[in-house]
Amino acid sequence: MFVFSHSDYLAILLSLKVATVATLLSLPFGFAVAYIMTYRKFRGRVVLDVLVNLPLTLPPVVVGYLLLLLLGKNGWLGKWVLQPMGINLIFTWKAAVIATAVVGFPLMVRSIRTGMETIDIRLIEASRTLGAGWLDTIVTVILPLSVRGLLAGSVLMFARGLGEFGATIIVAGNIPGVTQTIPLAIYEYVSSPSGDVMALSLCLVSVTISVIVLVFHEWLGRRMVKVD
Amino acid sequence: MKLKSIICKLFPVWIILALFTMTATAGDINLSAAASLRDAVTALTTDYSKENPGVKFINNFASSGALAKQIANGAPADIYFSANPKWMDYLKDKKLLDEKRISIFAFNSLVFVGMPDLKVKNMQDVPTLEKVAIGSPSSVPAGQYAMEAITRAGIDKKLENKLVMARDVRECLMYAERGDVSGSFVYKTDALQMAKKVKILFDVPQELYFRVTYPVGITLSGSKKVDVALFYKYLQTTQAKEILTKYGFVIN
Repeated sequence: MFVFSHSDYLAILLSLKVATVATLLSLPFGFAVAYIMTYRKFRGRVVLDVLVNLPLTLPPVVVGYLLLLLLGKNGWLGKWVLQPMGINLIFTWKAAVIATAVVGFPLMVRSIRTGMETIDIRLIEASRTLGAGWLDTIVTVILPLSVRGLLAGSVLMFARGLGEFGATIIVAGNIPGVTQTIPLAIYEYVSSPSGDVMALSLCLVSVTISVIVLVFHEWLGRRMVKVD
Repeated sequence: MKLKSIICKLFPVWIILALFTMTATAGDINLSAAASLRDAVTALTTDYSKENPGVKFINNFASSGALAKQIANGAPADIYFSANPKWMDYLKDKKLLDEKRISIFAFNSLVFVGMPDLKVKNMQDVPTLEKVAIGSPSSVPAGQYAMEAITRAGIDKKLENKLVMARDVRECLMYAERGDVSGSFVYKTDALQMAKKVKILFDVPQELYFRVTYPVGITLSGSKKVDVALFYKYLQTTQAKEILTKYGFVIN
């Protein structure tokens, strides 16, 4: 049952690669957005909150289609910025990374925010009274204390990224070896009358990876508590 | 508890509602057809309904492989049009068809489409392109025929990592129309009917692939309906064949 073809191994490797890159790419932005939403008060905060959480509630296909409208050859960004620069994102693994990053972003921000909100505000106030600027405070006080939130957010986003399908298939297409991640490979097998065994095998791989990631997440959580 | 008694009282109502599925009436024909036949078959069913007003068609268009799998898994289908005899044989082996009523419905041919200014004149020019779309060979006949032609032409290794898999032949054409791929392998009929921005760059040489053959067959459930048998007979009349030729299909 576990005889995988060359393209199946590529799909597994590609899923891991895309999810990892998307998570790493989102970390700085996620941290920045979480910081703004936790510590800065400004008008239109609700709007930002809604925008950040939108990919969580929208059907991934909608997210994919909107990305296509934005980045495609005739898209708003595509026509005026990307094409003149010779950058073609649609149907490349970069598009898969972007789709995964956008869909998983709200999860990361939420986790980081949860972590940030547990930081004792007096520590931040103390650093400010001791003369630290806002950037200094972020780097020396908030960042180290947010590590648990950052890790939790990363693991959650990585897991979500492994399962991303709707947005990916619209904006990155199903290209074996280039953008065909595990969910896309399973979808192709499921559409084919003779593909059930292979679909099940890949499903098992998907479940195994998810279990490993979640167990790691739990272990991390416990370790963090011990350190505290 | 109050909530518990409410739930207990509503439970039978839910059960009854769940059982109230829409039952198909006797005059309904569940038709499953390959995506490339969408316009032609819709025209045929419209034409037939004009002279037989009591008959209602429920049409389901997708790739032939996906449809075969649906039927094998119990999806309602009375008559099935495939773009490849392979999927008809698949259902025949599973004893899901009325074996006395399977016939060849039409023929088609494979072409390569792309933007008009593209310098591609034959199969050997195709690997020079960045990305090419074909139907997923595991379930889309157009993709199977295209893959066969690609392999016979010897360009399969060169096209590795460049093939974008579409879920049916119409999606394949759409990718080329949008410009996200440089070109795609579709049926001549799709190019003639639906292509707006792209045009046929060359016909794929027939010796490179098995001739595109559309069989039509009646399923076991369909064989119990009189209307299905009458529609099947209609498909063999000159009137029906004229409609098919109008859409670019070849009859012989």
